[in-house]
Amino acid sequence: MSKPSKILTRRTILRAGAAAAALPIAAPFIVEARGETPVKIGFIDPFSGTYGVLGGYELNGARMALAEINKKGGILGRPVEIIPEDDAADVGKATVKFHKLVEKDKVNFISGSVSSAVSLALSHAANLKGILFVDTGGHVDSVTGQHCHWTTFKICSDTWMLANAISKTLISKFGKRWYISTPDYAWGHFLEAGFAALLKQNGGTLLGNALMPLGSTDFSSVLIKVQAAKPEVFIVLQGGDDFVDLMKQATQFGMTKKMAFGYGLVEFENLAALPEAARVGWGVMEWWWDQPKNPHVTAFVAKYRKLYAKTPSARSWFGYVAMHTIAMGAAKAKSLNSIKVAHAIEGMELPPELALGPYPISYRAGDHQMLLTEFVGEVSSTGKYPYLFDVKETIPGAKLAKSPAAKGCKLTYPA
Amino acid sequence: MRGRLPANVIIWALLLTAPFWLPLIGGYTALASRILIFALGAMGLNLLLGFTGMMSFGQAAYFGLGGYGAGLALVHLASSSWLAVLIGTLAGGAAALLIGPLVMHRRGIYFAMITVAVGQIFYFIAERWDSFTGGQDGLTGFSRQPLHFSGYAISLRDVPFYYFVLFFFAIGAGLVALLLHSPLGHTFVAIRENRRRATFLGIHVERYVWASFAIAGLIGGLAGALNALQNNFISPENLYWVESGNFVIIAVLGGMRSFWGPLIGSIIFIGVQDYVSSILPNNWETVIGALFIVVVLFFPTGVLGIIRRGVRPA
Repeated sequence: MSKPSKILTRRTILRAGAAAAALPIAAPFIVEARGETPVKIGFIDPFSGTYGVLGGYELNGARMALAEINKKGGILGRPVEIIPEDDAADVGKATVKFHKLVEKDKVNFISGSVSSAVSLALSHAANLKGILFVDTGGHVDSVTGQHCHWTTFKICSDTWMLANAISKTLISKFGKRWYISTPDYAWGHFLEAGFAALLKQNGGTLLGNALMPLGSTDFSSVLIKVQAAKPEVFIVLQGGDDFVDLMKQATQFGMTKKMAFGYGLVEFENLAALPEAARVGWGVMEWWWDQPKNPHVTAFVAKYRKLYAKTPSARSWFGYVAMHTIAMGAAKAKSLNSIKVAHAIEGMELPPELALGPYPISYRAGDHQMLLTEFVGEVSSTGKYPYLFDVKETIPGAKLAKSPAAKGCKLTYPA
Repeated sequence: MRGRLPANVIIWALLLTAPFWLPLIGGYTALASRILIFALGAMGLNLLLGFTGMMSFGQAAYFGLGGYGAGLALVHLASSSWLAVLIGTLAGGAAALLIGPLVMHRRGIYFAMITVAVGQIFYFIAERWDSFTGGQDGLTGFSRQPLHFSGYAISLRDVPFYYFVLFFFAIGAGLVALLLHSPLGHTFVAIRENRRRATFLGIHVERYVWASFAIAGLIGGLAGALNALQNNFISPENLYWVESGNFVIIAVLGGMRSFWGPLIGSIIFIGVQDYVSSILPNNWETVIGALFIVVVLFFPTGVLGIIRRGVRPA
């Protein structure tokens, strides 16, 4: 009787190969000893899914800032390091990554987020741990409103500021009969409430509000309802790939020729992904790369293009500002202690090479909201990349934002 | 059986001392808690998948319901971690008990399909019912509460929470072990081995599938409640079919015919996820997918299956 099992078979070789391939994964936990322990910043952002592109721009901006900070000697003489983690715009994943960053990597600070739901969850989690969180791009009001925390600073504007910046223009140009399409989570709910309130103040009619889950790909059910309602303005609050899909479908339905389109937020990345025919409507940008009169902006754009071969977006700027904010705060506080750094950032004004806009920008002490400039304008249907947006008006954030008290924010530091 | 006792002793000893040796190899306590939680959920599933031979793709439904049960109990009822775990476990178990009759008549792919469908119902309820579940934003505003023992209060920080999880893991694993050695467990295996013969022996196969399904849901609910307490957070994603897939992957990776398979699978799955996601933030899921394909193609009995075959001459 022969014993075939002793012979080296194809399967054995394949198994051995697979096992060898798995080795580098199986032996992962090697901690390098370094002379100087770096200051670590956990960066939780979506790098996949509907907001994947936006997260990538934020990380690029953050990395560019990091190189500048390290070139100038880091934070308190220590090198700085970013540990990026993908949350796929999913709150559950983001919380797991947060605990990993805090408990395993022992990060000093947390930053990131595109999805408002994620920034809310991270804001709570960071507060429970007493660790500073700089929210780059989750817009929801409550992060610096009724759920504000001393640990959280928010760079992007809140949803009220966005709605407030564009509503008057839409009403005076196109009319008071609106239909709103809303992504069904924190960002959408707050933004929709803002638009609806402003419309009511001005005596307009809200014909309907269609809720769709984040990550939807087929918007025809919404579009059919909107066409039947015949609004003067169709307000689209979707972002990311959701926005791109909705706009493509609306264009195929011929809707872009029948009604005006308005947006709470216009994102450069999304415009770049749209076919020319779908590039219509009015909205708000939170930063715009084409400011020829501002030499700081020109230098920033040139440097970014050299690094990434792309034009920076508002998201790039958010990531860039976030890292510099942490570095400046720690330098001012002369400490990495989150409480001291938080006090240092309160009321801090961004230097012009960081503000990169027409008006001064600072972090409001009352709610930790950064009051940035809103660039109101029209999406350019004829411009070629990167000339995708025509700025018509710039409004300083301080003129648009509600007061911390009106937002329901009361910051309490630990005793 | 004789060979198993030392293995069991070693596993429990390692689990009991995990917070002490884990940091030495680069792990951390919260990771250990997470591994135990997913191992427990997969163990529940494995009762159905590995021992009753029913391919359920809906374990996340009961895992997620357990989480919402625990979270909502902390938000609305009382600030007690014990109560949260109890309510969560019962929520998962009760849901599985009620859903059982709907699914127990189906077999094979149809059973898998209907368990997915039922799971998705819970997912959409949680996602759309904003005022109660927090919708797509998830449920926040609760955190795990200190335990009170006659005057003592133990705050559930890292290490104490690990032992809190281990305590419930031991209860869950003990329940599964007890079941597997009971006539009920033997009946489950008989159904897996030959459903028709079991029927001819006078076994009401469907009732046993129901029982297996309900117990799997109960244990899934327990794991889900612990998961909600660990993250101080629960979102609809925990109910989503992708999460169900994760439990199946964990069970298959480790070895679904073995009692400890889910624990091994969870160590690999959660460990790789934790490690690779830091190196490849953009495509860590690819690595997990590749790993799963390798296991299914070449090691269909899972990691424990290989070890066992290596030790015992065939």
